[in-house]
Amino acid sequence: MTLTLDRRQFLTGVLGGGVATAVVRFTGLSSLLSMAEASASTVARNGPFVLCTLYGGNDGLNTVIPYDSGIYRDWRQSLAIAGEQVLPLGDDGSGQLGFHPSLAGLHSLWKQGKVAVISGVEYPKPNFSHFASQTIWQTARLSADPDAGWLGRWLDMTGTDPFRALSVGPTLPPALVGYKQQASSVVDSTSAGAQLPGQNPAFTGAYKQLMSSYPGEPALQAGQARSGGNLMLVGSKAADALTHEQPPAAPPGSGPGDIGTQLDIVAELIAYGLPTSVYSVSWSSFDTHSNQAGTHAGMLASLDAAVTGFMSVFPKAAPGKSPVILICSEFGRTPRVNASLGTDHSSASVVLVVGPAVKGSFYGATPSFTKLDPYGNLIFTTDFRRVYATVLEQVLGIGSPSPILDGAFRPINFV
Amino acid sequence: MLGVATNPALVAHLYRRAGFGATPAELEQLSHKSWTELVDGLLAGLSGPDRAGDAVAFPHLTTLPESNVPGYNYNGWEEYTNLVQWWLERMVVTDTPLREKLTLLLHCQFPTSITKVNWAYMMYAQNQIFRTLGPGNFETLVQAVAKGPAMLTWLDTGTSHRNAPNQNFARELMERFTMGIGNYTQEDVIQGARAFTGWELDTVSGGFFFNSYDHDNGVKHFLDRTGRFKGEDIVHIVTHEPSSHRWVISRLWTWLAYPVTPNDPVVQDFVHGYAKDLNITNLLAAMFHHPAFVSAQAMQGLVKQPIELLVGALRVLGLTTAPFSPGTLQGLLGAIGQVPFAPPSVGGWGWNEYWQSTGAAAGYLQLAGSLAAVANLTALENGDGHPADQVTAALSLIGLPDVSHRTRSAVTSLALSLRQSSGSWPAQQIVTVALLSPEFAMN
Repeated sequence: MTLTLDRRQFLTGVLGGGVATAVVRFTGLSSLLSMAEASASTVARNGPFVLCTLYGGNDGLNTVIPYDSGIYRDWRQSLAIAGEQVLPLGDDGSGQLGFHPSLAGLHSLWKQGKVAVISGVEYPKPNFSHFASQTIWQTARLSADPDAGWLGRWLDMTGTDPFRALSVGPTLPPALVGYKQQASSVVDSTSAGAQLPGQNPAFTGAYKQLMSSYPGEPALQAGQARSGGNLMLVGSKAADALTHEQPPAAPPGSGPGDIGTQLDIVAELIAYGLPTSVYSVSWSSFDTHSNQAGTHAGMLASLDAAVTGFMSVFPKAAPGKSPVILICSEFGRTPRVNASLGTDHSSASVVLVVGPAVKGSFYGATPSFTKLDPYGNLIFTTDFRRVYATVLEQVLGIGSPSPILDGAFRPINFV
Repeated sequence: MLGVATNPALVAHLYRRAGFGATPAELEQLSHKSWTELVDGLLAGLSGPDRAGDAVAFPHLTTLPESNVPGYNYNGWEEYTNLVQWWLERMVVTDTPLREKLTLLLHCQFPTSITKVNWAYMMYAQNQIFRTLGPGNFETLVQAVAKGPAMLTWLDTGTSHRNAPNQNFARELMERFTMGIGNYTQEDVIQGARAFTGWELDTVSGGFFFNSYDHDNGVKHFLDRTGRFKGEDIVHIVTHEPSSHRWVISRLWTWLAYPVTPNDPVVQDFVHGYAKDLNITNLLAAMFHHPAFVSAQAMQGLVKQPIELLVGALRVLGLTTAPFSPGTLQGLLGAIGQVPFAPPSVGGWGWNEYWQSTGAAAGYLQLAGSLAAVANLTALENGDGHPADQVTAALSLIGLPDVSHRTRSAVTSLALSLRQSSGSWPAQQIVTVALLSPEFAMN
């Protein structure tokens, strides 16, 4: 399918032209702004935090490439990226590493000291199921049972302001769903042509009343009302931000739903100063079981363009506008290429952290290539919850993240 | 059981869960029947004819052999869009609502997406497997789904080889489709994957092909058993595991009554019966007759999935998909996050809170407005009655005779305000707001 849709049209179609505009017309912008400001929690010095989830299991070995290693070339055969093609990062102590050739923008940011490369990240007893491993990453709990997300638990303990966390996309990652609360989301829709009914004040007033839960309302039904109420609140302010801010250059060819469009929206909301501490974007699928080379290069190129465009809006750290982007995936992929010229579900992988206040360097440790697990997978060196502990402490300003992470994890000083 | 009428609220509940809701006129008729008669009627549809459903014009979908003709031009996106419209229409008009509902729930149980399968006919073929084999024996169903071209493509069984087995299908078979996590080991996944080698999609015939030369015929140690297992043996084993009984029951109960884990006590109530024959029709019968199916927990236990809400709304408004060009309803569903044949992953869609994001709320605004705009609401516009009666008529139309004071008041204030400015009853706006009410979202 070829989908050509102007980006601004997409945004205004969904937000500006919809209920949000009606709200602004009816109640007046100032009252909504004061509501938002009154309820805003203080935004930490570093931040906001931008969680960028790559679903499907991104191939860490072909993202940060140990190109000097003969073992790597032997594992990967025709999937191996040659040394003259990789973008060199230097030696992390295990050997020379380099970015995939699709990551030219990130390579430039690395040279500016704005990229942390954390190697060997995973958890004990790796689980090779997408859903189990995603659940582990999203809940920060090792049981693989669906549970409240780690950022959802953060939401549960920091008040009720619907602006605190904002997800771009129609459905919310489980990481942002707590026991009691969940993040708001900005819809990511292609249905810009649909006429919304919210163009007159009477309708908007009725919708507002409809979406106010009453004492004793059954929990699920009350949750339905809450979703509509939060839409009015968040939608109005987001629409305002997107109307007032110049968009950063969304990567050419970005359409609705692409990572470029998602990060573009987030950049505008941050630039506008929305009182939001956590943003979430996500993209799939990195599940490259077959004919991986071209697919993976294309996915990484889009990611690179999206992050580079986003970072162009935030050249220097500034209070409330020092986004910290965490790029992670549920697992890496098997060291050995499979018969379909792809790779299968595996374990430890690389996590990238990007931002103007990030201390660019190598962190964690590249796993051993000679000591593998019984199935031939890399053995992790760095618990992913250490990354979360760092985010909670140093980006979100939580004094002690132990209650959220069910224990103490030593932060990694990448911010 | 003649003369034993059923409470209309319970009839409505049964028809929402076992179908896509009943119109007020249908409820009027159905409420004269006993619960057993109602359930039997729905179950009969699982094997009976569906004249209205079968009469829905079927779009042309290219088969693989057809596409092998040189120069054949395959328009995959258009075929997919037409397929979505066809199934939605089928759900709206069907004479056998439980069978279409079960087809949808099996799509949720075996989530398979056009995004990777990339062939509308294969998605249709799987959909027909759900519709025809879904009500029968669960192992028979899984055997057919596993060999269907959509699944062979979706989870890579068709490109797995003896010298490098692909684990994707073997894992999801156990984790998502039959047993649930925690009931097998990584070693079982590896051994199971060996058994499925040699399964291929024959691009000439468009069907399943067993390539014995690429099959690992060695001995496998799988779930405490040992043998030269083939793929069929693995499906047989996993569908007969006690953990599979609990898993299948818990999944169906989650979509029909309220969310449960396989360890929930209510699941145990069905294990003995289901384990005897793995028959889904019998399991559904047992569920609809279980006291917990009409408990307060069940009555307040589910919000509608977006597809359920859309189809239910079309039905009560007396609409079909006809007023919407192919792609329109698909786009509206996409804004909420649930398009048929396009689940987000092999994990499928979530339930309840999953559909209560602000993003979904924005999508529902568009959907409700679009439906009300094309519905024939003359009866509501011409009413000359008291405002309260007008509002009651609108709420009854969409199956909400009893709503909260909050909702009634919101609809009433809108009706009065717009009548003042326009001089007539603003039926379209009233119905839009009513469709958006939290009560209508409840399943």
